[in-house]
Amino acid sequence: MPLLSNKVITEVLYWVTRKKWLVISFLLSIILFYLPSPEGLLPEGHRTLIIVLTVLILIISESIPLPAVAILIWIMEVILGVDTADGVASSFMNDAVFFIMGSLMLAVSIVHQGLDKRLALGIINITGNKTWRIVFGFVAVSAFLSSFIGEHTVAAMMLPVALSLIRNAGLETNKATPLSTLLLFSIAYGCAIGSIGTPSGGGRNVIMIGYLSEFSLVNISYVEWMIFAYPLLLLEIPLAVLVLWFTFTPTQKIMDSAVRKLKVHVAKTGKLTGNQIMAILVFFLVFLGWVFLCPIIGLGIVGLTGVFFYLAFGLIEWKEINRNTNWGVILLFGAAISLGIQMKETGAALWVAEKALITLEVIFQDVSIVRWFVSVVLTGILTNLLSNAATIAVLGPIVLDMGGDPLIIGISTSIASAFAYLTIVASPTCMIIHSTGLVTSSDYLKAGWKLFLISIVLLFLVSYFYWPLLR
Amino acid sequence: MKILIAVSSKEYSGPTLSVGMNVSRAFKAPATIVDVGEKINEFSTEDVGMAHERIESWDFYRPGVDVLEWAFDYLADKEFIERSDIEAGFPKNTLVDIGGNRCEVYLKGTVCDNVNLILRNGDIIAELKDEVQKHHYDVTIIGGSQKRRMAHDLIQYIDSSIFIVNNYNPDQSYKILLAVDDSIATSKAVQYGARVAQAFDIDVDILTISKIESFGEGYKNAANRAAKFLRRCGIQHQNIYKVGNPSDVIKEIAGDNHIIVMGTSTRSPLKKFFKGSKPLKVMENCQCPILIVK
Repeated sequence: MPLLSNKVITEVLYWVTRKKWLVISFLLSIILFYLPSPEGLLPEGHRTLIIVLTVLILIISESIPLPAVAILIWIMEVILGVDTADGVASSFMNDAVFFIMGSLMLAVSIVHQGLDKRLALGIINITGNKTWRIVFGFVAVSAFLSSFIGEHTVAAMMLPVALSLIRNAGLETNKATPLSTLLLFSIAYGCAIGSIGTPSGGGRNVIMIGYLSEFSLVNISYVEWMIFAYPLLLLEIPLAVLVLWFTFTPTQKIMDSAVRKLKVHVAKTGKLTGNQIMAILVFFLVFLGWVFLCPIIGLGIVGLTGVFFYLAFGLIEWKEINRNTNWGVILLFGAAISLGIQMKETGAALWVAEKALITLEVIFQDVSIVRWFVSVVLTGILTNLLSNAATIAVLGPIVLDMGGDPLIIGISTSIASAFAYLTIVASPTCMIIHSTGLVTSSDYLKAGWKLFLISIVLLFLVSYFYWPLLR
Repeated sequence: MKILIAVSSKEYSGPTLSVGMNVSRAFKAPATIVDVGEKINEFSTEDVGMAHERIESWDFYRPGVDVLEWAFDYLADKEFIERSDIEAGFPKNTLVDIGGNRCEVYLKGTVCDNVNLILRNGDIIAELKDEVQKHHYDVTIIGGSQKRRMAHDLIQYIDSSIFIVNNYNPDQSYKILLAVDDSIATSKAVQYGARVAQAFDIDVDILTISKIESFGEGYKNAANRAAKFLRRCGIQHQNIYKVGNPSDVIKEIAGDNHIIVMGTSTRSPLKKFFKGSKPLKVMENCQCPILIVK
């Protein structure tokens, strides 16, 4: 009788092939642990960087579930002696995590109200029936709305509007055409552009604000952020429309019949219901709270107050929120922020920042360009491979330790993390349009590289010529 | 006995469905048609779910439902199934989320007792493995793939017999090429080969290959037992004895007008993992359908 049956061996082989990156990261972390700490890096910092490397491998490879990565961060922080259990617990929960939790719950509450049909009517009333105007409307409305309520919320509401127009134009909704690709990318890129506009546009903005405040560098309010970022958002909208139009030029230049059919379809839904009016009102109050109360009570608490009202007024049931909220993401971002704080406290962030500056200075000769390169280009690339909030959580402490004006570096990094144009996994909106089966990974590259380069150049111009005027 | 038919697109899945339903008939077994959609990044699972709920409220269906709807219609048109339209059926296509990336799909206003429709999302090997393991399928039928890794993983990890419908042409007349040897997997392969031959009403070539000039007693007995079994089943057959490298000989004899049936490799999983196996080599070499019996 063999020691292990063939079935057991097959299962082990299957596990190893599927989890090879888990095995590799585990072995790598053991090897790195036994290597001496590099010069200038404390043992705690050395161990923190081991955790960072392990986590990056596990997130990119998706070899274990996200909540498991979060739990692993806590375990490793304590076992490797980076912090105590109480220290890890207290660094896990802060206003940025509250905000991410609140914004995901708000997204569920808003999407649940079925306001998409109203939105459809609003867009086509403004744009009319010319295709280029509809595309402009899609990008602009997605950007405007996602700057306040988060990109995934807007993408979920805009998707049926786009599919409806595609169907009404007489095209199959399961076969890719230039028109379908154009409309879907208008949503995804519009949402990505919009998410830079305000702190509530994305969890990563709040993470960066949290770091700036936590590390006693600078405090920035909701309105101040808008003054910095909104002009860039407005500049990007027409450029994104041009890029998309000339990359996926449709044969249908006018969508008269599609627009009329959509109007008829939407007209059947009748007037706004009491719940929908209440839902809009609550969100408007949340927005006012973010503008006026965030320096006092924090963005997260304002968001959670909105969720409280949605629940208390019966606009949504808890089980609905519970079912549609990605708790794994909340755990992971909380753990990633905790890791970011440890990177700062153990000196790991400073060490990496110094090494990056010394290495890259050889190439660029100018320290300010090196800072900019790391904070913008590296963030832009990493955000397309990882997740934008996770990128900021990990890179944030490093770029803030590179010197220069922390506000400009911080906002640049946060904005660059929205340049998620190149891959399907770059952001939830990219994944949402991909899930229709109408866009392929090569479509992201076709239009994405142009918009990525344009966005980087625009950000460079804004950060060098406009932002210094505000300081 | 349960049959699983994996489909992917309307363009390429017709032959897989035809072969699958013929096999299902041969074994008098219910068939399940599964479409495995692309994996959704874990950061976006809930967001994509929410977007899908919204599009369903506008009477759109998530990708994959259209493929299953087409598969159902295809089978009804080819008279593999009897489609009964009933008023008491679901008013629109309905997805019942069973959990673990798996949805049961019920098409608008129709019922069909012997075909189930399943929609899954994720890595194709992981999803098929999970489907087979949890729902105890005996044969998994899938279209051909050019990816060597995929073929290897299907044979190595899916815990059922695998029928790979490679370049199947419904207008071509096929024969079964039943590869036999003295391994324990052969007797089941003979049974399955006979059933498939009956289903397609075709003849069988029993192929025995030796690497050396002489054929051992075990090989001869296996060929004779196969012939006896086929004779009892009333299937026309002939014995072919060849010398040479098994995968090369099978490729040469099979051409493009045979359905190859062979037993799974009896090598240890570790050897199969590192050095491959006879069925894997045959699958890589041959351009015709192949049933690997486990």
